[in-house]
Parts: sequence; structure tokens; C-alpha cells
Amino acid sequence: MSRLIDKKLSRRRFLGTSTCALATATVGSQARVLKALAESGEVTTSKVAGSKDVFTACGMCVNKCGVIARVRDGRIHKLDPNPDYIKSRGMLCARGNAGVKVVYDPDRLKYPLIRAGKRGEGKWRRASWDEALDLVAKKMNAIAEKYTRAGVMFASTEGTFQEHFFLQMAECFGSPNTVRHPTLCLSSNIQGFSATYGTFPTPDVLNSDYIIMAGANRSEALITPDSIDQLKGDGGRRKLVYIDPRFTKTAAKADEWLPIKPGTDMAFVLAMIHVIVAEGLYAKDFVETLTVGFDKLVPHIKPYTPEWAEKECEIPARDIRRIAREFAKAAPKAVFYPGRRSSFADDDVQLRRAMAILNAVIGNWDTEGGLVPNSKIKLQKHDYLAPWYDDVPERIDKGSAVFLSEKDGSWTAMRDRILAGKPYPVKGMMIYKQNVVMSVPNRAKTLKMMDQMDFICTIDITMSDTAWYSDVVLPEATYLERQDPLESLSGILPVVAFRQPCIEAMFESKPNLWIMQNLAKRLGSEIAETFDFTMDDLIHHQVSKNPKILKDLKSNGVHYMKVLPTYGLTRGKRLRTKTGKIEIYSANYAKKGLDPLPVYTKHAEVPAGKFRLLVGRNAYFTHWTTANNAYLHELMPENTLWLNTTSAKKLGLIDGQKVKVKSPVGEGTLKLEVTDKIRPDCVYMAHGFGVLSKGQSLIYGVGACDAALIEEKLEPISGNVAMHQTFVEVSPA
Amino acid sequence: MKKKRYAIVLDTRRCIDCKACTVACKAENDVPLGDDKFRNWVSEEPLRGRYPNLGQSFAPSQCNQCENPPCNSVCPTSATGITAGGIVTVNPDKCIGCKYCMLACPYDARYFNEETGVIDKCTFCIQRIAVGRIPACVETCPTKVRTFGDLNDPNSEVSLLLAKNRYRVLKPELGTKPFLFYLI
Amino acid sequence: MSAIVNKPGQMLWFFLLGGCLIAAAAAAGYSFMVGHEQAFNVTRGVPWGILIATYVFLAISCSGLCLISSLGHVFGFEEFTLICRRAILLAILCLMGAFGAIGLDLERPFNMIYTLLSPNFSSAIWWMGTVYGVYLGVLVIEFYALMTDNHKLSMITGSLGFLFAIAAPSVLGSVFGLTLARPFWHGAFLPVYILITALVSGTALISMVMYFQHALRGLEMDEKDRRVIRLLGRILRLMLFVLIFSVFWNIIVGLYGAQPGHYEPVKALVSGSLSANFWLGEIVIGLVVPLFLLMRKNRTPFSTMMASLMALIGMFFMRYDMTVAGQIYPMRQGAKGLTDGLFTYSPSVSEILIVIGCIAFSALVYTLVEKFLSLDLESEHHSQATPDNS
Repeated sequence: MSRLIDKKLSRRRFLGTSTCALATATVGSQARVLKALAESGEVTTSKVAGSKDVFTACGMCVNKCGVIARVRDGRIHKLDPNPDYIKSRGMLCARGNAGVKVVYDPDRLKYPLIRAGKRGEGKWRRASWDEALDLVAKKMNAIAEKYTRAGVMFASTEGTFQEHFFLQMAECFGSPNTVRHPTLCLSSNIQGFSATYGTFPTPDVLNSDYIIMAGANRSEALITPDSIDQLKGDGGRRKLVYIDPRFTKTAAKADEWLPIKPGTDMAFVLAMIHVIVAEGLYAKDFVETLTVGFDKLVPHIKPYTPEWAEKECEIPARDIRRIAREFAKAAPKAVFYPGRRSSFADDDVQLRRAMAILNAVIGNWDTEGGLVPNSKIKLQKHDYLAPWYDDVPERIDKGSAVFLSEKDGSWTAMRDRILAGKPYPVKGMMIYKQNVVMSVPNRAKTLKMMDQMDFICTIDITMSDTAWYSDVVLPEATYLERQDPLESLSGILPVVAFRQPCIEAMFESKPNLWIMQNLAKRLGSEIAETFDFTMDDLIHHQVSKNPKILKDLKSNGVHYMKVLPTYGLTRGKRLRTKTGKIEIYSANYAKKGLDPLPVYTKHAEVPAGKFRLLVGRNAYFTHWTTANNAYLHELMPENTLWLNTTSAKKLGLIDGQKVKVKSPVGEGTLKLEVTDKIRPDCVYMAHGFGVLSKGQSLIYGVGACDAALIEEKLEPISGNVAMHQTFVEVSPA
Repeated sequence: MKKKRYAIVLDTRRCIDCKACTVACKAENDVPLGDDKFRNWVSEEPLRGRYPNLGQSFAPSQCNQCENPPCNSVCPTSATGITAGGIVTVNPDKCIGCKYCMLACPYDARYFNEETGVIDKCTFCIQRIAVGRIPACVETCPTKVRTFGDLNDPNSEVSLLLAKNRYRVLKPELGTKPFLFYLI
Repeated sequence: MSAIVNKPGQMLWFFLLGGCLIAAAAAAGYSFMVGHEQAFNVTRGVPWGILIATYVFLAISCSGLCLISSLGHVFGFEEFTLICRRAILLAILCLMGAFGAIGLDLERPFNMIYTLLSPNFSSAIWWMGTVYGVYLGVLVIEFYALMTDNHKLSMITGSLGFLFAIAAPSVLGSVFGLTLARPFWHGAFLPVYILITALVSGTALISMVMYFQHALRGLEMDEKDRRVIRLLGRILRLMLFVLIFSVFWNIIVGLYGAQPGHYEPVKALVSGSLSANFWLGEIVIGLVVPLFLLMRKNRTPFSTMMASLMALIGMFFMRYDMTVAGQIYPMRQGAKGLTDGLFTYSPSVSEILIVIGCIAFSALVYTLVEKFLSLDLESEHHSQATPDNS
């Protein structure tokens, strides 16, 4: 048992003394609109008072697009895109526009709630902030006392701009067990590309002439600016080859759609490399001067012929050959798109390595239309010195993956160890807006893990499934009601974004900083002192080296340094790899006992009578967060199970009927959608439905939840979860 | 100054069916909730071909602001009118809610707004045009499917698009003379 | 009059109609409270429902009644003069019921003032509203003239009424016929067709009234009455014949060439969502059986009444089917809520109650007037059904 008070402290204020209030920056006024309307006589308007336009950043997904909030009479009327916001090319998607319904959502969490019934029963009592925070602090301390400080885990979302305070709380409280989304998302991708280039680059979609996207559904899984730029070349100049077992909306926009057999992407990529190497189409000078290990690649790639690949991935060899040649011909303005979510199969890092190598051999590194390393605008960091605690063990998931992120952990590895209680018990959960029940595959297991927790506290804006299974639920202010710190968003054209409150926080909701500060006060002065600053302090500190940033943000809602990309900045410089060059052959991997060059491994075939369950996005939803949004709910009121027409015929199932989907770990019932838009051996359902929480009133009892079905498989290099290796049965419900 | 004639030119090849335009419009124009309440929409055209050779297009649309609008002819109380710039509007003070215009419109552009109690439709965001801004659907579109402008200005973007590209209008045989132009 | 009071079913009749009216009033109140969107099953795809169908049914019946009655006091067919008062009264009440149905369908009925303040002369609905509005006035005066035996006035108003009775249904038909966007409605057919159906409704309605005013009072029909009923039966027979051909060609034109927008509604009638209505309601009940009854040699006033009742029910189905079928074909691809590519509509409870209420209103007021005013002509003398009456 570790003692609570035995810490070596040396604190320092991270801030100077400057505290100048941040007046809300607004753009013009609606008065002109209303006056003009009144004059035209077209629309009768009486509400002129209290109207303002506020620059802020969207918080509906990861992209953080620039927004101008039109506030009328103290009510956010419309969210418009900020035309100056270069990252999103001055657009706002359906979700961005639906942000108003996040604020005015009847299902919003309004007050702190303390569980009154059994967990998951949905009985709550309203509590004051004081009572709720006292309870949280008491429980956290009790767990720390009984077990160790590592006995409280901290699960956090990202992109709220205020998750830093939550992670700061974890660190200052003394728990190493923080976990975030990357291992449910893109950590394989980052690992595979970083192992090759020393960084995770951005494809220059806008200027590329030939783009191959594999499983990156950019017309639906919107990423700015790629989703926008992919259409810019439409009309002849651009070629988009799209590889996906589903005919998505990206497929509809692509020049070619190749319904690849899931889990075999690497065969396709290796065969492309084979063709490019064998036919001498690679960028010879480039490979010679900027890469290492090409000599080892040549023999390695030899057996991976297109004919071999055809048998694996079911894409005709002649297509692979042709695409490889076209791709090499378009080089260097050609890119095999790295994508984002990489939770496909359990050898995903090696697939990403293969993709990185394919890009490397055509020499598109740091060139127009190729893979470009990100730039980032520097902001001053919030430094604090966390209290030091003795006897706090290392991360519970330590060693579960070869390259495990210290901050992000590996979600499913962590869950397994918590359930096993090994090497030590974790009995408390602090959750900031991550919906772990819906987001982590194998929902039953997550619920089991939560069952064995002594205490669960969730901070959120709505009653997520996770909040539903918590003991204390704390209402956060929404992104349109908060002043957030500035956030530097990296990219080919990096920007700094910020959020300002468009209206006062409704009900008793509070920004996360406030919640953390007030929790910290209850956890002891050492922790509290690391939070001893105001948002104003922080922001002024962030821009202390470059006050123009804040000025720009106030006058334009965005700060950027350049509007045209600059290429080749890394030329003649060492990359951040061991050798300083692009590592086609990774000596580092070899040292760790990993394949230094990607080796193709066969995955389990779909058993007879079963289907491979695929996950994927649509443009209306951000994971689970928006299915209950009134505007977006209209666009997709329920999810369906996609099943190929011929497969449905074989099973005797018809479009629109209810079906039961069963996997080894769970089941769900939903409507069947018979379609040609999916491979005959796969099924697909959208994420966001089949919720357990009755606090999601529009969607409770509707559709099925993919997280309940997916068997978690671990990618051993990155700790990423593999989500496309679950086989399900489909039967009439 | 010459009279304005507003139009929207759509390049549907760019449309990814993200429905940003629909949600933007609903928020901008206080269109009530409900999946049959909208001033503009994107429909998925039927899937072409058979697996694995497939194709699909998406069709964003809204009121065509016809030069010869049937909805205007049928309105018994002249609640529907054509305002400056050729925009077809509904005067909520005069509308009796007989819904004849909904039937007369060949484009399904009109709906009954139960919150205002009258028929509602796209006005090209007339309240935004009045202050020199563009319609919400045009502005918000990620891939910029829509281009808005004045066709009476030969140098406007819409005029140039129509000069340089082939285009079609919807249901030309009905003689409504639509002002939504679809590039081919 | 005393006889009617003594009839045991009378209280029941008034209770029934009163109940219908109260239910309809409740439904109307409910629909105004929660909004038509909630209370009615009309949608963006099918904005006109059973209330409009009922309006058409009642308004057209009104014109039909006028046309029939004008045979007597305008065209001088003596036999028909004895039905004049009842026909005109019924016409007025049908029209009021019709106005009730459309009034309750309008979302903002009080804005009707703008039909006067800012009329739109190119609107078929404006013309229809105006024609029927004036028409109601003419009918009221005509009824007054008939009741006061003011022959000159009744002649003038009757002639005017006749003109309106021709004009009004065709203008009403034009409301549908002028919708360019709806091929099933569009064209010159509907105004003419509506006129034919007007005669069917009117004839059927007055035959029924003629029968029941005797039967329910226990009055024996004299030869005059029997003759009128026989003549009405003959007119009905003729009109049903004409109507069968109209319906036939309307269906053939729709099916022939399968023109999109026209074909689908007709297909829905013949073999789709409206086929039960069409075959059973329109064809069997509305056309075939009545024709069969009217063709029989030994037809009685009762069988004529039955034929009329069935034809009237058929007419209602026809109005309903015409109204709905014209709307089910979507105006654009990808519209939501389609079944097999078409919209569907079925009336809500509130809508049905209001429809019943509108019809009950006409029936109730008619029976009350029948009870308290003499609608028989001075010249007519009815004897009680006594054994000495041969």
C-alpha cells in the first residue's frame, strides 16, 4: 500500500502575471442583415438586440473547422463556415451545421448527477457541484489509499481543446493509466509511417494527380482539407483509385473502385511495389540518396507478383500492374493515401510500412502532390510540475505492445489486464467524454471491466452509454459555450484555432478547466496549485512569444503563416529516423525482432455461412456522438446491416426485414439493407446505434451496436485493435 | 443598375452527399425538425450497374426559382410572389395553407411549415442576399457544388459557368423556365 | 309532421348525427391544437387527403342537385318541380358541408380575406372559391324564392343556379386539370368528367331523399312521386353508362404507353395500393351493381334508392381515389417515404371524424328543416297511408 503523502515537490508557476481579459472577438453584427430585411419587407423581424457574430472552432469531430456563430437574442441561430479558415477551405459540413442542436439538445446533461439505483439502472439524483466533486475526490483518494494512485484510470477524448487539463489531472493525481483513442484508431498508421519517415506525413491531395485510397473513405469520413481537395481535380486531371470492400460515397466519386478482400491490402501494396521495382519504374536518384535498404527490398519483393496478389486480394493482376504503372508514371505527384483509421487487421503496422515504402520508391516525399511532412505553428506550452509520488507502478498495459504510447496506452490490452487484476488492481475510472462502452470493441467485456470498478465518474455533455454506467456524471459546457485554449493544428498549411463562448454555459454545465480546478482543490493543494491559473492567463501565455496569433484569431478567427505550401524543407536535412533517411529497411524493427521489411501474412478466411463484419463511417455522424443530434438523426434515423444482394438471396433474406447478427462476443438486431454496395462475404453497419442509455432519447432501442459484436484482436506492434477480424452469423430476427 | 436575376449553378459531379446544405438551410431558415421538412435536399440516385461494376450519382436540389413558376399561378391569395432577382417567395401573412402550390410545383420544392402555419420554400436565403452574403447551402458546401450569382451580370461566376459548360435544367418540358442549372 | 316525431328511430337518428358532429368538432379542435401535421395523415408527398376528397364530393353533389332541380323550375319538366325545394335545400347544405371540409383542411382559413384583397385571377382555386361562394348566395336566394313560391325570382335564380351548376364543377375540375406537374390530373378531361359525375351524385342523392322522405314518414308514394323516382333512375342509369366509358377511357389512356407520372397512378388504381378502392368501391359498388339494379324491368323505388345509395358511395370512392392517385407519383427521385416508388396515404382518425361530421352536418340540418318546414309544394297533397288510398 502506497502512502498518500510522500512526494517531492518543486512547483513553479508556468505563467507570468499578465492577466488581460479576453474580450470576445466578434465579426460585424447582424444589425445590417435585419435592417436590410426590414427595408425589403420580405421578412418581418423584430429581434435586433443582442445579436453578434462570434469566431470559434467547430467541435463536432476531429477537424476543428473555423466557425462563425451567428448569435441572435442570446441564442445561437446559425453556425457559418469561416471563409478565412484555410484548413477547412471555408466549409462546414452537416455535423458542423448541426452544432446548434448540441447546445439546445433536450437530452443534454444539465446538472451533476449521482447514481441512485444500481449501475446502469438509470436512477439518478441531482446533486450540487460541491456534493458531486466532494464525492469524486473522496472516492479517488479512497482508491489511491486502498490500492495505489495507479488504481484510478483516466480515459479521455481528444479535440475538445480541454482534454489537456484532464490529462494534467491524471498526471498530477499520479496515475500512469491514461488511455485515449489512438489504439482504437490510427496508432498502427502512425507507427508504420513514422518507422519509415520519422514522422506521420500528410498527403498533398490538392496537388496530387494520382491518388490511391485504401479504406480511407474521404467522402464520408471527412478529413479537412483532404475530403474537399479530393474533388478539386474532378473532371479529368485527377485520378482516384479507391480500394474498399464497400462501395462508399468515395467509391461513387472515384475513377475506379476495387472491392478488395478485407485483410489483404498488403498483398496489393506489395505487388505494386513489385511491379514498380521489377520494371524499374521507381525514382532511382531519390531511392539512392534519400532512402536506406532498397537493396534489401529488391529480393524481398520478388515473390510478391501481381499474379500472386490476385489470389490473395481478388484484384486482377492486370489491374494491379496497370495501376502500378500509372502510379509510377504520375510520380512524384502521386500518392498512396495513408488514411487515418488503421484498425483493420492484426498486422496493420506492417501494412502501413508497405504503404510507406510504396510511396518512398516513387519518390513523392516532401514534393508537390506527394507525402509532405506536417508543419506546426508553435504555441507556448503550459508547463507545470506534477507532484511526485513514490510507489506508483508503471502503466498497467506496459509491454503489451512493442511501441506503446505512454499517454495513450492500448485500450484492449489495458482492459484485459484490469479484468485480470494483474499486475495490480485498477478500481476507479475517471472519464472525460470518451464513450468507452460504445467505442471499445467487445462491449460485454467493457461492461464487465466497469462492473469491477469501485467508482466511475464521467464528464460529458450528454448521457452516453458510459455515463449511464457511471456513479457520478458531471455536465460539461458544450464547445459553443466555452473559452478554450488555443490549439495549433498541424498540416501542410498549419493553423491555430480557438474557441470562444458564443453564449453563456447553460444550466449548471461547466468547462472542463473549471471542473478540474475545483476537483483539484479537493484533492489537495499540491494538485490545486498546478491548476492555479485562469483561461486568460493560459491563452496569453500560449501566445507570449507571438502575440499576433491572438490578434489574428480575434480579427479573423484563425491564424496561419502561409497560404501556399512549401515543399522540400526536409531536403538535405536528417529525418527523424535512426539513419536520418527514409527507412525502407528498418534496422530498428529487426533489432526488436520484428520484420524489417513487411512480410505478408494470411489471415483467417471467412468461415462458411458467416460474414466478415466491417466498420466504417458516414458523413453525418462522428462516432457515437451525433446519432442523437436532432438534425443529424433525420439524416440517418437508424442503422442497417448491409448485405450483398446475392448473399441475401442465398439466405432467403429480403431488404428491410429485421435480422439478428451474432458474433462470438455479442449480438444485435437491426434492419437489413440488401445492396450491391458490399462484397458478398462481408456485412457492414454504421456506428452509433444500439445504445444502452435511455438518455439518448431519439435512438434508444434503435438499431444495433457494432461494438457489442466486434471481437478485439490486438496489433502487437502498436497496440492498436484490429476491427475487421470478426465473423458474424446473420439470421432472420 | 441593371436588374438582377439570381441563379444557382450546380456541379453535381462534386457532390458527396454529405447533406451539409440541408442542415445549413434548416438552421439558417428555422426549418422545423422532421425528415420531410426541408427547403433543399440531396437525393441518392439509383445505383447503376451490378456488383462489382457500380456507379452512383447524387442530386442536390431546391426551388428552381422558375421564371414561369406554376406555384405562383395557382396561389389564390397571391401569397406567392416573385421578388426582385426572380426569387419566388411566400408571404406568410397571406397564405391560407391550401397546399395547392405544393401540388403545382413539379420539383417538390415546397413544404408545409407547421411552426409558422404556412407554406415554406427556398428563397436563396433572401435575408442573406440582402446583406451581400450568399445562400447558406452555397456557402457551407464542402466541395462547392453550388455557385450562386446574378445571371444578368455577364461577368458573374454563374454566367461564366453557363457560358463555358453544357448544362441542363430539370423538367424543361413543363415550361417552368428553371433557374437552377446543372452542369453536364 | 307529427308522423315523423312518432317514428321510433328518430331520436336515435338525431343522437347519431349529434354524436358525429360532436366527435368531428373534437377532432377539428384537436387538429387545431396539435396542428394538422400531427392530426392528419397528409404529408409533403400527399398534401391533399380525404378532406379535399370530401369537399369535392359534397361540392359536386351540390351542383348535381341543382342541375336536376333545374329540370323542373328552369326547363319546365313538370315532373321535377316537386323535388325543387328539397334539391336546392340539399344543395345548399352539401355546399356548406363542403366548405366545412375545405375550411378545416386549410391551415390558415382566416387569411381567406386575401382572396378579395389580393386576388390571383390565374388561380383555379381562386375561381373555384369565388364561383362556389357566389353560387351559395344564388342558391340561398333560390331556396327563398321556391319556399315563397316566387316564380319569377325562382326562375331567374334557378337559371343562374343552372349556369353555376355547370360552371362550378368544371372550375373545380380545372383545379386538378390545370396542374401541369401532375399528368394524372392534367388535361381537359377532368372538368368534363367532374360535370358528368355531378349529375350522378345529384341524381342519386335526390332519389334517395325522395325515397326516404316517404318511407321514413310512412307515406305512400303517389303516382307523381313514383314517376319522378323512375325518371331519376333513368337519368342515373344514363349517367352511369356515360361514366363507365369515362372511367374506362381514363384508365386506358393512363395505361397506354405507360407514360411516367400518368401510368403509375392508374396502375395503383388498377392493381396497386388503391385497387381495392377502385374495383370494389368505384366499379362494383359505384357502377356495376347500381346499373344492374337500374336495368331491371321491375325496379321499385326501393331498388332505385339502393342503386342511388351505392352510386353515391361509389362517387365518394371516386373522389378519394382521384384526389389521392394524382399525388402518389413523386415529383422527384429519391423522395422519402415511398413504397414501391409511390407515396401512400390513408386517412387518420381525426380526418375521418371530420369527414363524418361534414356529412352529418348536412344530414342533420336537412332533417331539422324537413321536420320544421314544409318542403312539399302547395299543389302537392299527401295523404296518409290509409287503406282507402288506392
